[in-house]
Amino acid sequence: MTAGIFVVSVLAGLIGSLAGVGGGILVIPALTTLFGVDIHLAVGASIVSVIATSSGAASAYVRDRITDMRLGMFLELATTTGAVCGALLAAAVAPEFLYFLLGAVVLLSAAMQVARMSEEIPADEPNALATRLKLSSSYPDRRLGREVPYSARRVPLGFAMMWFAGVVSGLLGIGSGVLKVLAMDGAMRLPMKVSSATSNFMIGVTAAASAGIYIGRGDVDPRIAGPVALGVLAGALTGARLLHRVSNRSVRLIFLPVLVAVGLEMIGRGFGLSV
Amino acid sequence: MNGRTMTPERFRLMVSAILLAGVSASAILIAAGFATSFLVGWQGSLTGAAAPSGPLPDPSNFGGLPDRLARLEPLALSQLGLLVLLATPVMRVASSVIGFALEGDRLYTALTVVVLAVLLGSIFFVR
Repeated sequence: MTAGIFVVSVLAGLIGSLAGVGGGILVIPALTTLFGVDIHLAVGASIVSVIATSSGAASAYVRDRITDMRLGMFLELATTTGAVCGALLAAAVAPEFLYFLLGAVVLLSAAMQVARMSEEIPADEPNALATRLKLSSSYPDRRLGREVPYSARRVPLGFAMMWFAGVVSGLLGIGSGVLKVLAMDGAMRLPMKVSSATSNFMIGVTAAASAGIYIGRGDVDPRIAGPVALGVLAGALTGARLLHRVSNRSVRLIFLPVLVAVGLEMIGRGFGLSV
Repeated sequence: MNGRTMTPERFRLMVSAILLAGVSASAILIAAGFATSFLVGWQGSLTGAAAPSGPLPDPSNFGGLPDRLARLEPLALSQLGLLVLLATPVMRVASSVIGFALEGDRLYTALTVVVLAVLLGSIFFVR
């Protein structure tokens, strides 16, 4: 069983590191259905997998200048305060309703992703707010063989979406990498690789904020979370080497099925099905 | 670091190195716990100390970790590895405060201090 968990986790780390998500979407159902792990221990292991994907992949993305650290820190202001609000709200909101709403939003975004599928790089349109907050930068694209400049557009909208992503994390205890990528790619119109790598950078902090709660509850069992962490790390470090070689379009192509899977899972949970 | 200057390049390499050190240390500890669990069992002791009497503790209970580490329990090694992993993003934010400060970027130093405070607050106070 340990070897099986390790293999699934390598795959989760690989996909997570490329798509900018934590891989919980793969880890939780695989642990519960394939290996019969208790759902609480699976969620605990998934929190660990988010941090492992994030830290492993980000170590490479930060070095290679694909992660925008200023953008990440700026938006973490929104996600961390959002997460605290979410945790405080948890008693007042019915999770089923929220899951259903989120599922619908995520599936709608999947349709928008399809519409953007042919776009390699969004047009660079510097604006005053992005300049003031130093959210205009560039990243080296080895696939295109040049430095690609970009500026964050619609910064207030992106910040608001990130705050909401934080609320969702706090309420539902998920990393919400999908929502983070959507805020950067969809609202702020950043290149897909920058969105994915910066989301990767951020989800570790989101997950770390709630990890203490899960350990305190006794949901982190090293016999399960251990092989998950090792597998995900191996997958994420491998994935981080691949991002250079693939195009922004390919990243979107990897992100899209993740988006559809997350959307369907959330709607399922909205109807009270547990995966 | 000469003359206290922090270039964006150095800043990136520092953050990258912290993340890599965190995940490496964590992976080594988790793997060491697994490897040694085959020798003495999850709650055995590599120092040969006798296990405390009474029922075996729950593996997902992180309580009494320092004592169990002193006895070199495989379970305790893996648990410490997981804690190191969870602390890695926090270390990354903390080191960014220093990085932005050395770069002389007041706006982002202040912003990162707030993020660090909220993060630590949510780890230790939100239940």
